[in-house]
Amino acid sequence: MFGVWIGKLVLLLLSMLRKRATSLPGKIALKVSPRLLRKLGTQLERCIVVTGTNGKTTTARLLAAAMKQEDPIIHNTEGANLPQGLATALLRHTSWFGRLRRKTALFEIDEATLPLVAETLPIKVAVVTNVFRDQLDRYGELDTTVEKLLAGLRKTDAVAILNADDPLARHIGLSYGKTVLYFGMSKEHLKQEHRDQMRDGAFCMQCGHELQYDGFYYGQLGDYHCPNCDFFRPVPDFVGHFQESRLEVTQGQLPPVSFQLPVRGIFNVYNALSAIAAARVCGLDASVIQQGLRQYQPPLGRMQAFPTRPHTVLNLIKNPTGCDSVLQAIHSEPGDKVLCIAINDLAADGKDVSWLWDADFELITEDDSVVKCVTTGLRAEDMALRLKYGGYPESNLSYVPELEAGLDHALELARASGDVPVYVLSTYTALYPLADLLKRRAHNNEPAAMYRPSVS
Amino acid sequence: MNRPLCIAHLYPDLLNLYADKGNILTLKRRLEWRGLEAQVTLVTSSEEARPGDYDLVLLGGGSDREQEIVSRTLRRSRDEWKAAVEDGLPLLAVCGGYQLLGEYYQLPDGTKVPGLELLDMVTVAGSPRLIGNVAIESDECGTIVGFENHGGRTTHHHAPLGKVISGHGNNGTDGHEGVRYKNVFGTYIHGPLLPKNPALADFILQTALDYAGIDVKLEPLDDELEKAARTAFQVRRMNLSEVAAQTP
Ligand SMILES: [Zn+2]
Repeated sequence: MFGVWIGKLVLLLLSMLRKRATSLPGKIALKVSPRLLRKLGTQLERCIVVTGTNGKTTTARLLAAAMKQEDPIIHNTEGANLPQGLATALLRHTSWFGRLRRKTALFEIDEATLPLVAETLPIKVAVVTNVFRDQLDRYGELDTTVEKLLAGLRKTDAVAILNADDPLARHIGLSYGKTVLYFGMSKEHLKQEHRDQMRDGAFCMQCGHELQYDGFYYGQLGDYHCPNCDFFRPVPDFVGHFQESRLEVTQGQLPPVSFQLPVRGIFNVYNALSAIAAARVCGLDASVIQQGLRQYQPPLGRMQAFPTRPHTVLNLIKNPTGCDSVLQAIHSEPGDKVLCIAINDLAADGKDVSWLWDADFELITEDDSVVKCVTTGLRAEDMALRLKYGGYPESNLSYVPELEAGLDHALELARASGDVPVYVLSTYTALYPLADLLKRRAHNNEPAAMYRPSVS
Repeated sequence: MNRPLCIAHLYPDLLNLYADKGNILTLKRRLEWRGLEAQVTLVTSSEEARPGDYDLVLLGGGSDREQEIVSRTLRRSRDEWKAAVEDGLPLLAVCGGYQLLGEYYQLPDGTKVPGLELLDMVTVAGSPRLIGNVAIESDECGTIVGFENHGGRTTHHHAPLGKVISGHGNNGTDGHEGVRYKNVFGTYIHGPLLPKNPALADFILQTALDYAGIDVKLEPLDDELEKAARTAFQVRRMNLSEVAAQTP
């Protein structure tokens, strides 16, 4: 009880100070009463979780948009996916007497956090978006991520909703031992060429043999099978077929249902497909899901546009696969552009920046339309070095470690290049400061003073 | 015109955990910038690697499972590798690849995954993982900086690549990091290793050029950006003073 009070007090205080409170109240409350999650979690009737490497936030928000059409839900927003983030979301809907006012929770949960909290929540449905390489210094190696996800799932009786096109997810499905449903893309979307060398799932986890692919969707996602044992891509229970901004989903023998996609890029099509699959498993009608998707607001830093001068588009990058999706999206935008890449290496970003060398920045360095590149953040120089060795001309490359100065330098260069758009790429801890700066630049809608020292 | 330097990247399909692509790219570019050519061969796990075909070999890092596969594949031509190393084949081995050079890697359950037995060296899995930014002092190449992330504790009786200034090194206890034997460079440092350590990159390249019989002395390059990245790393991440950080 004391934990609830403390947590709610901190929430109240922070909201009075108009501060973002996605984790701190939960963190303090959990310190005071470590069993808080269990105490509140047991009052829930059902909990739906979204986990996996990439696309957690978007998938959870798409699903939330649909579920909110039926009932109010508890939902942790903006990637606060560690125990303190879950606790904060629950505290928001807890009375001063410790009673939970809403009965359904939809949580985006970090892969390493899942085994820690799985027992404390009545998890009925668990979506695993995909299993890519992410933040190696936190989890050790990739196989550990698979183990963490499995350990977490095994502590539940959830229906697992997994990506059929991802061999690592298939391995999880085979090892889970309880109900599993798969979503996957229609084979018409398979591509033969495979640009990136991200081969996280290229080996059979059952026997160690190299997997064979009859085509790829992106990254390790594709139509795979093991030539040495009986490991293969399962037939998905939910098959997605997309065309421009529409996604058609076929569920078993049922007639296909068409959805308007509020998001772009193949990685987001997967996010939408898994969200629709989960919504169907939760018992929602197609019409309710369609309505939810129409009301969807894209989250911070996912091709998020700001009306600055010239205009800016903010993107979160945090691992090679996610970064490649963003680079592909930017690469496919017509016209000249300026890039501003902010790399921090704080705990929430991952302290190891070696992933920058696995990401396909050659998409940018070989693209003549990227006229200037500014790197910024605590690892601005490392990022600049990555671009230099990637073949980007040093004369068009500059590094300005301080965020505000770096951003303003990019805006200045973009204005000088004829008001071309600026694509801002940022790791997690630089994202909010950059979004705040962009909001202010958009508000003033005029060139900012150059190199003003930051007060943050 | 000199013949190109033949560089082999062993098993990028298996050992690709720690941005080894960055190390290869650095070797290639630093030759190109001096008007020299590199011919990089990606040797995948389905092919047999012949040490005699190359002037420089890079062996990267992978997960335990993948390392086991590599060990099995390489051990088939173990004698050939041993002879080549004794003969001075330049070999850069990072993380998992570094561990493979030794006698064995002992897993947490006690199983010993046999290594290539090229060096008098053993690795034992330990807990916790040794993770973080690292800086070492090498006699040949000055300060080497990067990131380490390994569960294994490695001990050997050869010379280290360098002495630990900050970080864990081979085993977190003896103050040594990596190994130097003949023309073998073994290390836990990725980050990746070579872009931010141009002196080491050039030292390895010169060793390989000499071994290949290509008569070239590498001239210094304009490493302004490399130096800036090193200085920033040492000041922001190692808490070393700016003055100390500037020495090569
Ligand atoms: Zn198999």
